[in-house]
Amino acid sequence: MATLEELQKRLQRLEDIKEIERLQRIYGYYRDYGDWEKVVDLFSDNAESVEVADHGVYKGKEGVRRYYIDLIKGGKDKKSRTGVMSIALQMQGVVTVDPDGKHARGRWYGFLMEARPTLSLHEGEMRQTWGHGIYENEYTKENGKWMFQKLHFFLNFRTPYEDGWLKTPVVGQSGPSRDVPPDAPPTTWHPYPSGVRFPVHFKHPITGK
Amino acid sequence: MNLEELEKQVTRLEDIQEIEDLQRMYGYYFDNAMFQEVIDLFSENTESVEITDHGVFRGKEAVRKMYGGMVGVPRPGWMFFEVMQSQGVIDVAPDGKNATGRWYTPSFECRPFGGTQKQTWQFGVYNNEYIKENGRWYFKKLHWNLTFWTSYERGFLKVPKLSDTPFPNADAPATAYHPYPSGYHVPYPFKHPVTGM
Repeated sequence: MATLEELQKRLQRLEDIKEIERLQRIYGYYRDYGDWEKVVDLFSDNAESVEVADHGVYKGKEGVRRYYIDLIKGGKDKKSRTGVMSIALQMQGVVTVDPDGKHARGRWYGFLMEARPTLSLHEGEMRQTWGHGIYENEYTKENGKWMFQKLHFFLNFRTPYEDGWLKTPVVGQSGPSRDVPPDAPPTTWHPYPSGVRFPVHFKHPITGK
Repeated sequence: MNLEELEKQVTRLEDIQEIEDLQRMYGYYFDNAMFQEVIDLFSENTESVEITDHGVFRGKEAVRKMYGGMVGVPRPGWMFFEVMQSQGVIDVAPDGKNATGRWYTPSFECRPFGGTQKQTWQFGVYNNEYIKENGRWYFKKLHWNLTFWTSYERGFLKVPKLSDTPFPNADAPATAYHPYPSGYHVPYPFKHPVTGM
């Protein structure tokens, strides 16, 4: 029979997984409503980086702020453009907590429905789009709370509703911004139909490989 | 509460977590064309695999038959499956060795169809069974029911399924193949949580 200490450890791991799943899903709800300040606050002060699609790598907590507030929001006081909608369902999470209980990784699918401009992030004709991609994120536990340490989203496709991924794999490919430049170029910009599959972080549950 | 009861409760939660992970990992491996990894998720005592109208494949050998042909075969870049493993409901039997799982799978796909590339929407329902052996959860039975498989452009009302796809090497014909608009309800593996019926 297990000791109380062993049971506590096992229960702690389950609580950690649930809390990280909640963090990732809440990230989704905040981002969908453009609550970018709240999104930034989900990251640790020791955050490593954020990298999404072809925007490039933004490093450190300062980079996280530059990415979400300066680039994505379009500036601290910028109001969301009328008619813009972005829904990114956070699905199929597999969360792996390190034995030390302080660090974790998570893989998720992002399933997107958007109405957005595609000429640039904030300008141009609005299109309705379907999108899909993969998150491989890292989390850190500090002062008893789980936070993002690293967020990395690999975009598979972002297609106009009228066309589909076979006809138009990506619209709104803006590349690294000149006004809010990333700290490093994109590391995984291989959308459909490249055939590149974003590697899984987890070990096989049976073979351990 | 004594320690033994507490351990039972913790174990049940661990079991549910591990089974959910197993099903979601199956999804990632499948979509990434990692078919040896898929095969290794099945118990040596696998009962059967049944996918849409391909037919019933019995035993672990049949799992290899079903997925083995795709191991290491490169897929052209334009061909893909994104089958999102969603809304899992897991029930672990009181013995702690057997479990059932129900899942939805909205899917984006692109695959060859009559010599051309076709972009399709697909939706289906899993009723799966899992078994715990040597302390690990495995698939014991996998059954995926097709709801619709339609072209991107036309939609499920116009084209509920693009074609029938029975496999000639199946051990038995499909036991359930009732795509839209049949009105078929895939039986629930779980009991009503309130009435217990």
